[in-house]
Order: sequence, then structure tokens, then C-alpha cells
Amino acid sequence: MELLFELPRQLKELLRLDRGEDIKYCVPYDIAEDGSLGEAGYIVVTPRRLFITAGNQLAYEWKLEELEKIKCEPLVNNGILLVKEYKQDYEKRVARFTMHHLTRISFAAKGAERLRDKNYRPVNAKEREKTCLKCGRALPGTKKCPKCDGRLVTVTKFWNLVKDYKLGLLLMFLFSGGTTILNLYIPEYQKHYVDNILKTKSGTAQDVLTFVGVMLALTIALVIAEVLKNWWFVSLGARLCMDIRRKMYHKIQELSLSFITDKRPGELMNRVSQDTRMIQRFMQECFGHMFSCIITMVGAIAIMLSMNVTMTLVSVVFLPIVFIISTAFRKNIHKRFHLQWVKSDKINSSLQDVISGMRVVKSFGKEQEESEKFDQLSEEFAAVQQRNEIFWASLYPVLTFVMSMGIYFVLYLGGRNVLGGEMTVGTLMQFSAYAWMLYGPLGWMTHLPRMITQMVTSLERICDVLDEEPLIINKENAIDHEIKGDVEFKNVSFGYRSYEPVLEKIDLKVKRGEMIGLVGASGTGKSTMINLIMHLYEVDDGELLIDGHNINDLNIEKYHSQLGVVLQETFLFSGTIYNNIRFAKPDATEEEIIHASKMANAHDFICKTPDGYNTYVGEHGHNLSGGERQRIAIARAILNDPKLLILDEATSSLDTESEYLIQKALERLTKGRTTFAIAHRLSTLHGADRLVVIDGHSIAEVGTHNELMEKKGIYYKLVTAQLQMQKLKEEKEEALGA
Amino acid sequence: MSGKVKKTLAGTEKDHADPEEFDLEKMEKETEEMLRLRFITKENAVFERTEGGFVSMEIEGEIYPRVQVYRSFPFTDPDAYISIREPDEKAKEIGVIKNLRKDVSKETRQMLEEQLRLRYFTPKIEKIINIKDEYGFAYFDVLTDHGACRFTIHMGGGSVVNLSDTRLMITDLDGNRFEIVDVTKLSAPELKKLDLFL
Repeated sequence: MELLFELPRQLKELLRLDRGEDIKYCVPYDIAEDGSLGEAGYIVVTPRRLFITAGNQLAYEWKLEELEKIKCEPLVNNGILLVKEYKQDYEKRVARFTMHHLTRISFAAKGAERLRDKNYRPVNAKEREKTCLKCGRALPGTKKCPKCDGRLVTVTKFWNLVKDYKLGLLLMFLFSGGTTILNLYIPEYQKHYVDNILKTKSGTAQDVLTFVGVMLALTIALVIAEVLKNWWFVSLGARLCMDIRRKMYHKIQELSLSFITDKRPGELMNRVSQDTRMIQRFMQECFGHMFSCIITMVGAIAIMLSMNVTMTLVSVVFLPIVFIISTAFRKNIHKRFHLQWVKSDKINSSLQDVISGMRVVKSFGKEQEESEKFDQLSEEFAAVQQRNEIFWASLYPVLTFVMSMGIYFVLYLGGRNVLGGEMTVGTLMQFSAYAWMLYGPLGWMTHLPRMITQMVTSLERICDVLDEEPLIINKENAIDHEIKGDVEFKNVSFGYRSYEPVLEKIDLKVKRGEMIGLVGASGTGKSTMINLIMHLYEVDDGELLIDGHNINDLNIEKYHSQLGVVLQETFLFSGTIYNNIRFAKPDATEEEIIHASKMANAHDFICKTPDGYNTYVGEHGHNLSGGERQRIAIARAILNDPKLLILDEATSSLDTESEYLIQKALERLTKGRTTFAIAHRLSTLHGADRLVVIDGHSIAEVGTHNELMEKKGIYYKLVTAQLQMQKLKEEKEEALGA
Repeated sequence: MSGKVKKTLAGTEKDHADPEEFDLEKMEKETEEMLRLRFITKENAVFERTEGGFVSMEIEGEIYPRVQVYRSFPFTDPDAYISIREPDEKAKEIGVIKNLRKDVSKETRQMLEEQLRLRYFTPKIEKIINIKDEYGFAYFDVLTDHGACRFTIHMGGGSVVNLSDTRLMITDLDGNRFEIVDVTKLSAPELKKLDLFL
């Protein structure tokens, strides 16, 4: 995201910057004091000062050290920038902007505060622009603008994708050329037959048979050639598509988690499946056919010109008209189909709503109303559809007629020429055959621009993924480190979006073998700390040390292989229980797996299932209860024998027996391993060596359970509240029981 | 099993003198407070505009150097139940003005309306100059009551919402929202351009 805009010169002069005082951030704001929209002014940040321009003047200027607070506050549909000077006791609003600049200004404000604190690390704006800054077009989820990039870049990208199939493409052209030549030859042969044999009546039945035989042979040859050509196109397209899909899948696995979470959930899937299919379609339907058409047209026109220039001109004169008409209607056609699509979409949504919410509809007795609503939608859709079909049914024949109107003129001129002796009948027939050959391809070519644009967009989206560099990669001399278990957070700050920190200035030293319980209200950053330890994200500020090494210096794969993870949402792959547990260590023996299961208290229930360890657990392991899935996850973690264990406890309470079994299993798992646990159960809290309470983005309290209870601080409140709830629950159960 | 859990409870109880009573009372008090709907009127509160362009309030002895002003029903009843809240992230409600037109003085109303204009920024489209659609996105060029504006929306559902039969809300790619108060008041060519989205 762009944070350094070009400041107009006369404004820059107003700032009167000192030598060496560079502008670090410059972002526009677009709502003026009176509420009107437009380029109202700029917010400029240098390492020493903050300026705000309004129109042609300088509205505000401060030294950064004078400001206690520089904050971007989002409101409804707009945002304001407010500052608070140390010497004043009120906050002041200084700029106002629409959502277009909101994120930018948040980053700039954060950047300004950082510079004020003499932190020269630049703000990393990872978010992408929604529209191209140069041409204003919407970006289809890519970093670069497909239009602005220029033709050459697009062609280069396309070539990069297909260059491995050079030979295949060459064959494609050869096939196309072959069929075209055959196509062009047939009228020539016909002419020969008509002129030399039929006309002069000098042939025999033998000659007629020969003609029919040759024509048959030629036609069969043509058919075979077409089949081969199409088969080749399709197979090439499919292979190319598969290749791209494979590359994308691998790339997505390589890329950092932030790349995936930044996008809408279905979007990456769409790119891998639909965008690649678009390329495939382009290759199959468009690319090869395009060349066939061009060769055919060029060939036909060349031959026609060599035969009679006037007639050639006459036959093509109507084509520009058709071209103009179809271009003029293209917009209209597009609008009609879009409208139809919108209506059909409405019907589908309504259907889906009613059918899945049928229970609600029935219980409120709204069937009649829903029926009426649906009836109306159906009628609207049918009306639109009918109009469209009539339109298309009327337009298409008219277009075809106009396009081929030239043929009548050709026949007229040709007829006169034949009667006048300048042309033979056969030649005329040949000529009109070639003229017809023109119209088909030309009509098809009008679709070309749209298909090419669609292809380019898909191409951009694919290359966007393939060209992306993973954020978290192994450094040059990544250390292959055997984890011992000392973890240290040194002044760590982090935010998923750089301007909104989730953790600030975290300092924590953990000895090997210690079990740390992370406690705090929801959303305070516990899962974030764990994400950082798992090296799924990198810290914005400060250092995270593992055994004294900066985590960024360690080899990622080696590091991950020594981690054990038991998460809240137990994700089991579709597969057998055996495969799921083995996931952590594919070469584990069956005995090792049984040991791990026993330690996780899972062996017993697994044996009770009909297929034992070979039981198939469907998507998300549906056939198992929550407690059973948790225990399988624990077995998986134990099998790995991890040096560092991450535990994200499920908040939902299970039945007491499962609770106990899981508690015991966890105890066995965490013994002697450095563990970070997001703890909710009292039993886990008791078992922890130290508890870390996170409140308001930083560590509020650290200590053992008893120490923190004595403090009567946040931890105390959390624990007693939970005890209260439990006591009330038990009293209620007893009352019900009695 | 439940016996074991009870023992743990007992274990903690021994260390501290009656934490339960204290906690329960406090929790109940807090939940009661959350239920309370305190009405603010010109009788019990004084509002003042701060130098920074915000509004401060004093109510029944409590002083708030800056308060935030929220509408509870921005579309259906914009002047009723104006919620006055603390300015931090939690934005706890201090009180509610039942009717902005009746319950406070004219000066206060103007002050608060200024704040509401700041908070709620929804340009109303007065004239549609042009709509161009290209490859799944529509580029609008319009005139609003806040000036001329251009924005881009994603075609394909969700961007244009019917607040009522004649009232539209259009959301662009950045999240900006634009309102068309009454679709029927638009001219015929404008309606035609908008046709795709209705």
C-alpha cells in the first residue's frame, strides 16, 4: 500500500524542510473542513515534524516530540486524525477522510508515533490497493494493474507459462496450417472439375466417379485432420492447465500464512480452479482457433485477390458495417445478460433462503407470503429472459444476413463476368466458396477481445500467486537447530495489521521444561503469542529468541518438525485414525502409535470402534465426539516427541469422564517439555509452573497460581469468577437431582 | 469425579477469606448497571464544545472531558435515543438522550449535531453523471451533497442494498457508502444507467 505520495512542489516549499529532513510518509486526506469531498490536503511526516496542509496552505505544524498522541480514529464511513499535545489536556481533530484513505492514514499515524519514539523501523504496509493508483481501474486482487502493465509484460507472462510446451504449440500451428490448406484446396479442385469436365461435356462417367472419389477422399482427410487438430488442442490445453494448477498449489503451500489469511476464503481456491480453467479454455477454444482463422482468412483473400480484385473488394465491403453493428450492440447484449444473471441470482438466493429456513417459515406461517414473493421474482426473471431471447433471435439472423449481403453483389458481378466470358463458372463457384469462408471466422473474431481480456485477468491473478515471494523464508545461513526449550520474548510487538498492535512490548523469559499458562480475556492476544512462537508470523518489533538464537535465523522446516501442537479446533484429515496419528511421524511403527495412544488415553476408545485404528474419520472427523478427537490430537502430538509444545485449549466443556482423561493425557504430554498453553480449565492452571496474564495488549501479571491469587489482581478475578460459575452450576444440579 | 473437583475448590477456599461473597455482589452490581438506561436531559447534564473540536459533558457530578455521540437508529429514527459514550475503545454508555429535539437546549443540539455529522458520513447522491461498467466492476461518476465524487463498486451482489423500496445504499471497494434517498426521483436516463443494479 502506498504511503509516500508525491507532494506538489508549492506545498513542499511551504514546509520549509531542513537539509536532510526527508519526508517519510505523505498521505492525502479527502474531506475538507466543511464536509466537501475532494483532495483536501496532505498529512506529511518527517523524522522530526508532522505537517498538515489544507488547500494551498499549511494548516498545522508540530514537532513530533510535542505530541503525546497521534491517532487515526475510524468512524462510520469515514475517519478522523486526532492529536494530543503534551502541553494541552484535550484531543484535537485535525483531518478527516473517507474509507479510501483510512488504512493509509492509520499506518502513517503509527509511523509518526514510531518516529517520535526514535524508532526508525518503517511501517510495513502489507495491505494491497483496491484500485490502481495510475489508471483508477479496480485491481482484481493483484498487486500490479493488468492494464497499466502494458501489453509486453502480459505477453511475457503468458510466454513464461507456456514456454515449456513450445513443441506442442508448434504442432498446433502445423495442424492448423494443414487443415486450412486442405480447406482452401477443395474449391480449387471443384473449379477444375466444373470447368474442365462438366462444362465442356468432354468427360466420361469415369471422370465423374474420379471426381466424387477424390472429393470424398479430401473430405475424409479434412475430417481426420480436424479431429486430430481438436484433439491436440484439447490435450495441450488440459496438460498446460494441470501444470499451472500444480505450480500454484505448491506455491500456496510455500507462502506464508498471512498471504492466505489476507484474502477472502474462497478466493485462492477460485484462482487455482477457475482461473486456470479460464486459461485452459483460452488455449483450447481461442488460441488455436485464432490462428486457423487468420490463416484461412489471409489465404482466402490472397487467392481471391489473385482472381479478381473488384469482386474481392465487393465481398468484404460489408464486413466493416457488420463489425460496427456488432460492436454497438455488444454493450447492450452484455447488459441484457447481466440483468438476466442478476434476476436468476435473486431467485436462487430466495430459494436457498426459504428451503434452508423452511422450519422458520412454517413456524411463523409465512408460506403464502414467501410463495407470492417467489412468484413475482419468477415472473420478472421470465420476462427478462423472454425479452433477451427474442432480441437475440431477431438480431442474429439480421447480422448474418447483412454480413453475407456481399455475396449477392459478388454473384451479380460474377454472373456478368461469366456471361461476358471473362470468368468461367467454375471460377465463380470457387470464388463464392472462398467468400463464404471469410464470413465465419470474421464473425467469430468479434468475440476475441472479450476472451482475451478475460484471459489476461486470469493470467494476472495466477502470476500474482506464482510471483509472490513468501514473507517468511529461510535466511541464507539458516541454522539447523535442535531445540532445547529456552524461549525468550524481548520487547516484542506485533499486529496482524501493522498499525493495530495486538501485542505491545512483551518481555518474557521461559526456561526449558517450564509450563506457561496464558490467561486473559478473549481477544487479548493469547493466540497471537502462540502464532509467533510457531513462527507463522514474524514480530514487528523486538526479538523472539529460541535458546538464545533469533527465531528468524533458524531453519523453518527443522524448527517446525520439533514443535507439537494441540489446537482448539481439532482438525483431523479425511483418512483413517492410523493415518491421522501418523501424520506427525510418517515412519512410526504400529507399536509407537499404540504407545502414544495409550498415553493420550485414546487407545481404549479406538479399539472399541469397529475398524480399530483403521477406522475412517470423515471430513473434520465427524464420526467422533469432541473429547475423542482431542485425544487423537494429543496422541498425534505425543508421537512427534516435540521439544516445544503448543496447547490451545478448547473452551467447550466436555463430560466429566472425558475431562478427566484429557486432563491426565495432557499431564503426561507436558511433563518435561516447554509448554505454552492457553488455559481455560482450572486443572491446567494449577498444573502450570507459571501463569502469564495478558490484558490490554501487554503482560499484566506473571507468577505461580498462588502468587497471583494473593495479589488479588486480574487473575484473581478470573479464577474466582470461574469458581463462582462452577459452584452455581453444581448447586443447580444438586437442586435438580434432589 | 465430581468429588475430586470439589476438593480443588476447597483447596483454594482455604487460602482466601470468603472470596465468593465479595465477587458475587460486585458482579451482580455490574450487571445491574449495564441494564440501567440513564436518560440525559438539559436538567441533569451540561455539554460544552472543546477546543479540539469535540464535546465534553458534566452529568450529576461526573465529568467527561470528551464524549462520543452515537445514533441508535441511524436510518429509521436519527434523532431518537442518542447514545453518549466514553471515548475509549470500550465505549461504555454514559447515558441516552431520548429525543434530541426536545430534551436538550438548542445550543447543545447544534453541538451534538455537529458531532453526529462528523461521525456519520454518508454522501447522498443527487445526480448520476455516468456509470461505466467493465469486467465485473462499475465505475460511478456522481454528484453528491458533499461534492462531486468518483467511486468503483464490485458488481455481483452485495454492493447495492435496498434499505427500503426506494432507498438504496451503495458500498464501494474501499467500504465507502453512498445513499440514494429516493430512486424514483432520479431522471429517466439516470435510472436507465442504474438499471443493472436494481
